Amino acid sequence: MPERTGPSATGIKRNLSNLSLTLTVVALAVLLQATLLTRVRVLGVSPDLLLVAVVAWSLLHGATEGLIWGFIGGLGLDLVAGMPLGTSSLALMAICFLAGLGTNSVFAGNLLLPIFLAGLATPVHGWIILLSAQLRGLRVDWIASTVRVIGPGILLNAALMVLVYPALRGLATRVGAQQMEW
Amino acid sequence: MKQLSNRTVVFYVLAAVCIVLLVLSSSGRLAPVEGVFTTVARPFLVAFNGLGRQINNVFTTARDLATLRSRNQQLQAQVDTLIIDNLRLKEVGSENERLRELLRFRQLNPTYDFRGGQVIARVISGGTSNYLATIAIDLGAEHGIQAGMPVVTERGLVGRIYKVGPSTSTVLLITDPSSGVQALVKRNRAVGVVTGQAGAQPVMDFVPQDADISVGDEIITSGLGGNFPKNLVIGQVVSVHQRDYEMFQQATIRPTVNFDRLEFVLVITNFQPLPGQPAEPESVG
Repeated sequence: MPERTGPSATGIKRNLSNLSLTLTVVALAVLLQATLLTRVRVLGVSPDLLLVAVVAWSLLHGATEGLIWGFIGGLGLDLVAGMPLGTSSLALMAICFLAGLGTNSVFAGNLLLPIFLAGLATPVHGWIILLSAQLRGLRVDWIASTVRVIGPGILLNAALMVLVYPALRGLATRVGAQQMEW
Repeated sequence: MKQLSNRTVVFYVLAAVCIVLLVLSSSGRLAPVEGVFTTVARPFLVAFNGLGRQINNVFTTARDLATLRSRNQQLQAQVDTLIIDNLRLKEVGSENERLRELLRFRQLNPTYDFRGGQVIARVISGGTSNYLATIAIDLGAEHGIQAGMPVVTERGLVGRIYKVGPSTSTVLLITDPSSGVQALVKRNRAVGVVTGQAGAQPVMDFVPQDADISVGDEIITSGLGGNFPKNLVIGQVVSVHQRDYEMFQQATIRPTVNFDRLEFVLVITNFQPLPGQPAEPESVG
């Protein structure tokens, strides 16, 4: 029976390297989201880079890593946005499961899948944030928010995925992707 | 199967952490931690925001260049060089202009003490998170900023401080659906409440049916409720919705402040909201 050993030095080094990469990319996404992307407004809303990045990374590297991206990125966004900590993280983590379903799909090799999932994740993400606001006692206009904010957001995030997915795919290739053929 | 169970465990653990953070953060117990983070993040936010402004300027310049090229092909090389200098000077000039306007506003309102601050991040409805209309400014508790203080520009009311860190603060804009401002029509003093709308212009609600309100009327703060000082300009009526079967009429307001182009704001520091005003955004209606 082979002797059970702990993680090798190479494995630990790789994990630390992946963690620092995650922190760097997610921090960059949060800063871009809070400062540059707010200037890009189409139909009254801005694209959600973090949401798109989390969906793309969940597809490329598995939902578990997507969860970690969503958790860290969500905390960063909440701190920058002044929202209660955990709000965005919960919403972003929930959409990782949607992306996780796509990983095993027969369409996993098609670029249309991440685009479709970005569109699908947008209302789920939005409704979770709205629900959280309502649970905190804030006034929430579900219909107006859905029609005027989430609706255009679906189109914008789907369009943003066309740019983000290939970029993250390149990054995933460098760190060793789970599946990336499309 | 093993991977699925790992993922589920990770999700449950992180979700539990999120919920704990949500509860602690909502009750303000994480304010010191949030303050440390915002202090650390502040230089990055300032830098990226400056970069965004520069990129914006580059796009504007590119449009200008296209016109200049067609008119002055023979001077193109010279124009390219001058444009870069011009861009920097324009930026300084427009900043100077904005600061002068703010200064004039201060001089016209000598009873208030002001603190001038720069916008370093924005989360405007239809912006970063799309669900919260706020901006972050580079003033915090160290500069005497407190929750509830009104924030203005020379054009009118911006919102009020609702979260304060050591060196940064978050301003809840009047366009946020959870914001409510007691207001009146300047022409005839008809009262109402201006509330933000998701993805749309704010409305003045609870205006009595018999009040005379029409397109073009100027809306100002009434000072009622003690949240904001009196006579700050909010906006102008662009449409009125009156139905005989409703108790109140509504008016859609176009704010005088352009929230997309905010760069400098003033915080009125000597106005104290009445005790009992909520630190978090209140629910109206």
